[in-house]
Amino acid sequence: MSEPDISFPLLIPCSSQSTESNKTGSWRFLRPQFDEKTSPCSAACPAGEDIARIEMLSAQGAFKEAWEMILRENPFPGVCGRVCPHPCEVVCNRTEFDEAIAIHAVERFLAETASRYDLKPSLPRLAAKKQRIAIVGAGPAGLSASYFLSLLGYSCDVFEAMSEPGGVLRWGIPTYRLPLPALKSDIAHIESQDVQILTGQKLGRKFLQDAVERYDAVFLGCGHSRAVKLGIPGEDTNAIEDGLQLLRRLRQGNTVSLSGISAVIGGGNTAIDVARSIIRIGGKAIILYRRRQRDMPAFDEEVQMGLDEGVELRELVTPVRIATEGTQCKLTLQEMKISGEDRNGRANILPIDGKTHELRVERIFKAMGALPGEDWLSPPEKTNGSLALSHTVLVCTDRRPALLFGGDLTNETKSVAHAVASGKQAAMALDIFFRSGIDAIVPELAACRVGQGPSLSMEIYMGGNRRLRNSHVVSYEEINTDHFQFQPRITQPRLLREERRISFEEIDLRISTNLAIREADRCFNCGICNQCDNCYMFCPDIAVIREKNKDERHINYDYCKGCGLCVVECPRNAMTLREEDI
Amino acid sequence: MKRVVEGSQAVAEAVRLAKAQVISAYPITPQTHIVEILSEYCASGTMDARFLRVESEHSALAALIGAQSCGVRTFTATSSQGLALMHELLHWTSGARLPIVMAEVNRALASGWNIWTDQTDSLAQRDTGWIQLYCEDGQEVLDSMLQAYRLAERVYLPVMVVLDAFYLSHTYEPVDVPSQEDVDRFLPPYGPRFQVNTENPCAFGQLVPPGSYMKMRRNIAMAMEETFIRFSEIQEEFYRVFQRRYDPVEAICCNDAEIILVTSGTATSTCRMVLRSLRDKGERVGILKIKLFRPFPVAMVREATSQAKKIAVIDRNFSFGASGIFAQELRAALCNTAGHPPVFSYIAGIGGLDITIELLEEIYWKTKGTAFPEEESLWMGI
Repeated sequence: MSEPDISFPLLIPCSSQSTESNKTGSWRFLRPQFDEKTSPCSAACPAGEDIARIEMLSAQGAFKEAWEMILRENPFPGVCGRVCPHPCEVVCNRTEFDEAIAIHAVERFLAETASRYDLKPSLPRLAAKKQRIAIVGAGPAGLSASYFLSLLGYSCDVFEAMSEPGGVLRWGIPTYRLPLPALKSDIAHIESQDVQILTGQKLGRKFLQDAVERYDAVFLGCGHSRAVKLGIPGEDTNAIEDGLQLLRRLRQGNTVSLSGISAVIGGGNTAIDVARSIIRIGGKAIILYRRRQRDMPAFDEEVQMGLDEGVELRELVTPVRIATEGTQCKLTLQEMKISGEDRNGRANILPIDGKTHELRVERIFKAMGALPGEDWLSPPEKTNGSLALSHTVLVCTDRRPALLFGGDLTNETKSVAHAVASGKQAAMALDIFFRSGIDAIVPELAACRVGQGPSLSMEIYMGGNRRLRNSHVVSYEEINTDHFQFQPRITQPRLLREERRISFEEIDLRISTNLAIREADRCFNCGICNQCDNCYMFCPDIAVIREKNKDERHINYDYCKGCGLCVVECPRNAMTLREEDI
Repeated sequence: MKRVVEGSQAVAEAVRLAKAQVISAYPITPQTHIVEILSEYCASGTMDARFLRVESEHSALAALIGAQSCGVRTFTATSSQGLALMHELLHWTSGARLPIVMAEVNRALASGWNIWTDQTDSLAQRDTGWIQLYCEDGQEVLDSMLQAYRLAERVYLPVMVVLDAFYLSHTYEPVDVPSQEDVDRFLPPYGPRFQVNTENPCAFGQLVPPGSYMKMRRNIAMAMEETFIRFSEIQEEFYRVFQRRYDPVEAICCNDAEIILVTSGTATSTCRMVLRSLRDKGERVGILKIKLFRPFPVAMVREATSQAKKIAVIDRNFSFGASGIFAQELRAALCNTAGHPPVFSYIAGIGGLDITIELLEEIYWKTKGTAFPEEESLWMGI
């Protein structure tokens, strides 16, 4: 069938000219730009880990890269994934949406994955420096200091009094919270950065004089090993032991038998660790605490698990006298009352006149805190040539070596992550000191803050990409939640209570790769680009350009009209709209 | 082969037989059955077509504008609010000269919310440059759909095939569903005169200066005129294959009629019964069924009504502030002819009210008993 003739032409608007000559970018008065910002978790992490990016890489299955991201800021992923109280999760923006990301679980998963596949990290390292540093104490602060100094090009010798490195991590935390292989694996990675650890080297005050010959600086991170005294009558009985000593004996592999009732005095994590260990070796533990349960400095979850396992807690009592009665001790307990609360909601307490009662126990463990083992290990009061920073105190007189105090000796909060922060701050401060003198330390450190600080980033210090990050901390209101779906946080698989009560096996079980990816994928990735390409999809002018074979995007301002759709549709506030300069 | 099918299925079978390649639609009662059937055909492989699910009718037509520009045969179906939402793109389609075919199920517009039949939705789009074909029964629906592709692809204008909600869309009746071979004989594959081609890149729909724009508009008007010629040719081609034909207007017993009832859609069938009984009583009545509304067949209307004394137009629609829309068109078509008969406008069956035999007879007697229309429009049945 033939088409009839068309007697008139078909007129349509059609052009074979390129529309590229129409530079619509000239219409723009607002300018969108890629502008990565700071996630609240990373600012809250004492070690300043780049958590949003770690979660992003984990969700992509790039486990080695994610693990290395941690290692740039924290040499202890295996330890912190287990025992850090994760302040990051408290400020997680996802909390306002459904539940916080289980950041610690992903961190631990990454550390375990690295061990399982025997991964070797490839971390940037600065050129070797001539200065040599001595580190006293192979606890988390000393090891962190040596690790970061090593990344900065310094050679370090670590002196450890005990037979093995790790400090409180090795001798003070029970294995049901931190099993030995996890710690050993983290320490092995620190040693692989050319850190030399000399164990069984108990040093005295004289070491500081001898060190002049061999070292340019000494970092003192010996921690607190001397138990605080109760200061009450009858304290000098053999029935009183330091809680940390019990934990150490257990971790040294000694068989300890503690039948009958043990009283544990204190409300911190050590008190809980001691009480829960006593349960595990067949004893009965009663924690005596002068305030209320909710005022305890110990982590809530630890307290709760302790109570589940059978630890008894007596609140609002304080021992005032100890007397020995045969094989038993008689504790006289003063009852306390609450008299208002302090700024942080912690109870102020007063003794109730005449209200005391007695408690008979087999033995008593003190766990109310500790002090430096020896006086010379305490940082000096403010003197000439000393600089007190948030996590370390630097003393540098004309005489070498420069002296740094860190870890529990200087930290207000005594946690592993704060010890890492201390080691990192000390390493940076020392490097700045050697390079530019003491006055340069404060301003240079300020430039390495994560968000508004005080957390510091070694990646920023070493000139990594993170230095380009805007220090603005992304808030929940700045997340475009239209692009996210509700998904519950993973439930941590755990040993049953019955299993926990009779063994020092690790309570929290390993999570599968699937679960870890799913959890990491819940992360909003606040403030960072995870190449979701919403900007590209929503741009009406095809002005968002994806680089070939790269994870980068850029905007073609010849055609970007500045409509701002890309910025609004960015789920994670990794873009910013600014007024054009006129 | 004769099958008992719904009007909606008659549409769907025609789209299948026309081998549409891209279908995009958003569900709305009473059109939903059409695209439900087609989506199943696409999913099962009965049709080799892409079914695009979209979030609105606006996007449905926008998607087809893109697809049709790439040189494929397309289809969408809608109704009422959905058609209203497509409005700006209806203009775009004709301006871009894209031969898109749509099934439009006449449904009343909100508010109040009403899902029943009413022609105001499609008639409100009369100035958008779409050819409009109104149907009386299931067979005419299927045939008009096949013809719509042929017509659209000849004149490069979009075609809307219009059917009454429920009376047609949801009513089962015997329909001859032709074989693929026969349809292929009538309807060749679409061979576009222009299309997006990456080998020879070009842009469509860019800025057009006033002089060129006016020429393009005139070009569309000329294509509308051409439609009359193509429509007749297509009927001949269709008749050769299927032995059925349709005219832009169907004049029934108009030669000797004193009063002609002007109808469209399914009301025509009811009117045919009224005609029979009135003729039996010796009344000289005729029916003028309007099938082709755009372009409006002015010459054919004039010719069919030239002998009549009165014309009564039954409108299932209303243009507020004016009158029934078919009545307006009739009056406009006749006003420049000397001594033309008066045009009575009756509004009936709005929002799905039945247009019964009794109502149509009442209209006839009222027209017969009145010398000249006393009102612009008379609202019947309320």
